[in-house]
Amino acid sequence: MRRPLRRPSLRWRVAAALGLGSLLVTSLLAVATWNLASDYMLRQREQSVTRQAQVNLRLVEDAVSKGSEGLTELLTGLTTSPDSTIMLFRRDDVLTSGRQVDPGAVPPALLAMARDGTPARQRLHADGIPVVAVVQPLSAGQGIYVELFQLSQLDRTFRFISGLLVAGTVLSGLIGVALGSWASRRALRPLTELTVAASRIAGGDLKARLPDQDDPDLAPLASTFNSTADALQQRVLRDARFAGDVSHELRSPLTTMVNAAAVLRRRQAELPGTTGKALGLLTSEVDRFARMVVDLMEISRADQDVDRDEFEPLDVGGLVRGAAPLLLPPDVEIVVEPPPPLVLGDRRRLDRVIANLIENAGRHAGGAVRIAVLHRDGKVRLEVDDAGPGVPEEMREQVFERFTRGTRAGSRGTDTGSGLGLALVAEHVRRHHGHVWIEDRPGGGARFVVELPEVGR
Amino acid sequence: MTTEVKQDMDFSVLLVDDDERIRQALGLALADEGFTVDEAVSGEDALDRLDEDSFDVVLLDLMLPGVDGLQVCRTLRAQGDLPIIIVTARTDTPDVIAGLEAGADDYVTKPLVASELAARIRALLRRRGGPRQNISYRVEDLEIWPDEGVVHRGGEEIRLTRTEFRLLAELAAAGGRIVTREQLLQRVWGYDYYGDTRLLDVHVRRLRTKVEHNPEDPVFVLTVRGAGYKIGPPR
Repeated sequence: MRRPLRRPSLRWRVAAALGLGSLLVTSLLAVATWNLASDYMLRQREQSVTRQAQVNLRLVEDAVSKGSEGLTELLTGLTTSPDSTIMLFRRDDVLTSGRQVDPGAVPPALLAMARDGTPARQRLHADGIPVVAVVQPLSAGQGIYVELFQLSQLDRTFRFISGLLVAGTVLSGLIGVALGSWASRRALRPLTELTVAASRIAGGDLKARLPDQDDPDLAPLASTFNSTADALQQRVLRDARFAGDVSHELRSPLTTMVNAAAVLRRRQAELPGTTGKALGLLTSEVDRFARMVVDLMEISRADQDVDRDEFEPLDVGGLVRGAAPLLLPPDVEIVVEPPPPLVLGDRRRLDRVIANLIENAGRHAGGAVRIAVLHRDGKVRLEVDDAGPGVPEEMREQVFERFTRGTRAGSRGTDTGSGLGLALVAEHVRRHHGHVWIEDRPGGGARFVVELPEVGR
Repeated sequence: MTTEVKQDMDFSVLLVDDDERIRQALGLALADEGFTVDEAVSGEDALDRLDEDSFDVVLLDLMLPGVDGLQVCRTLRAQGDLPIIIVTARTDTPDVIAGLEAGADDYVTKPLVASELAARIRALLRRRGGPRQNISYRVEDLEIWPDEGVVHRGGEEIRLTRTEFRLLAELAAAGGRIVTREQLLQRVWGYDYYGDTRLLDVHVRRLRTKVEHNPEDPVFVLTVRGAGYKIGPPR
């Protein structure tokens, strides 16, 4: 049930929400500020230019009514500032002073309104420059007075303000994201600690606890976690104690049984027929039972203990050479690649791995024919080859499970072992961070391969 | 083979265990292996028996009513170097280490088989074979006479248990070459396989506290990491 799209982490969702929120608020504020400020400034400017235009109109009207002498001088005088333009539309010509602008830039609709006697005002672009055009009719239909006031100054101010507002909005959005990310990380820190502690416990360190929290929101989490961990630790200790007790209780009767069996076996020849046969069955089953119990205890102990402090550097080649004379006939090929293949491990357990693999070959495949210890890409590789019938593909995982009895042809039948030998191999190899598997041996038979991480000298 | 059995008949074993059935079964089986077996049911009983008779080796269960196995072990070690093999139901490190620290020479875990136990006892009591060679080893002020089983440091005799002495003598005989842990376990304890290196570690530690001037900074019994031990002086 996995979602096709991975949801971003909680931290980033909080950060994004805070960033978006802050962006929204500041942009609303910015828009409002922009509208109010620009409106106000524009109106101010328009009112002032309208007043100016009215004064100028009166002067021009005076000049026109007195006759056209001096009109041109007057117009030049009126446009003291270089950024304004005055145009006087008369019946058949247009007088222009100030900055030269094509009279066609003044919208005809505006001129038409003035011609009908209504003063008008409009913002427009004349030759690409923002201006406000004030259009007024001269009294008695003598023409139309047009004055274009430049808005470049105001436009620059507007551009500055709008830039400032946009930058402020973006900045506040970014600050929102940063703040959200920081705050959520702070808020999630106890969760991070919880994850660390939980993974330590999962890794076997049952002593991991969360520090006490002052924060009322977090205190219950910490205390719940800690009490769960306490309970788990106690449970594990109790189980371990129980296993220890059981092991002790079983060991004593087993000691009596195996030794009584040894005494009986010595005298088996004295007992004829059925009694002797039954005795043989009994003593061999007692031995097998003892082996099974010992293996079972070892495997349950392997389940529990987690201390790797006692691991020491071990020469696997040396371990194999030590085991070989006792477990193998002298003609078995033993290959150890130099330099001495070292692993970090527990001697007794690795001895067990080697011995169990050799015993397994002896029990099911007529004995090991070659043992090799090789170096492979930072790993030490132990190969135990036999010339038996091999292990069918579908059994290769299964044989490492507990109490999987070999159904392989060539097994001795009566001596089936404890059923735990290969399970112990798998368990011990796992403890050493290694892998064990079965391959086909070139030339027939099975090859049991153990790979363990190699350590340098 | 017959001479060995005859020799074993001379060995007397004191079996200390509170479980009567184990005492009986193990007693019968050890007798089959050729040992003379006496039994004790508790720590006090064991100490009394040891006062009355002399034994070649004590098989000591750690879990005993009253005076427990560890206490008995310490008491015996304080009195002399009588070989002690601990019989324990627990193979957990702390138990084994505690037993060895208390002075035991070796340990076996239940369920133990008499034949296996017999091999351990024989290894422990094995006398140095061959003719006397009348040699001695010298490392700085440490002198070792293997034939006499005597060690002197600076002219004074150091008292070692039989096992500690054999350990030191094996290292001395190698003359500064490395002796692997496996070799030591095999030569001193007779483990041909499955030797427990904890056994060796504890004995080396005990040996050092006796022969070294400063056990923290050994000069005679040196560890060669990942390989084994060798006799000093450091080169």
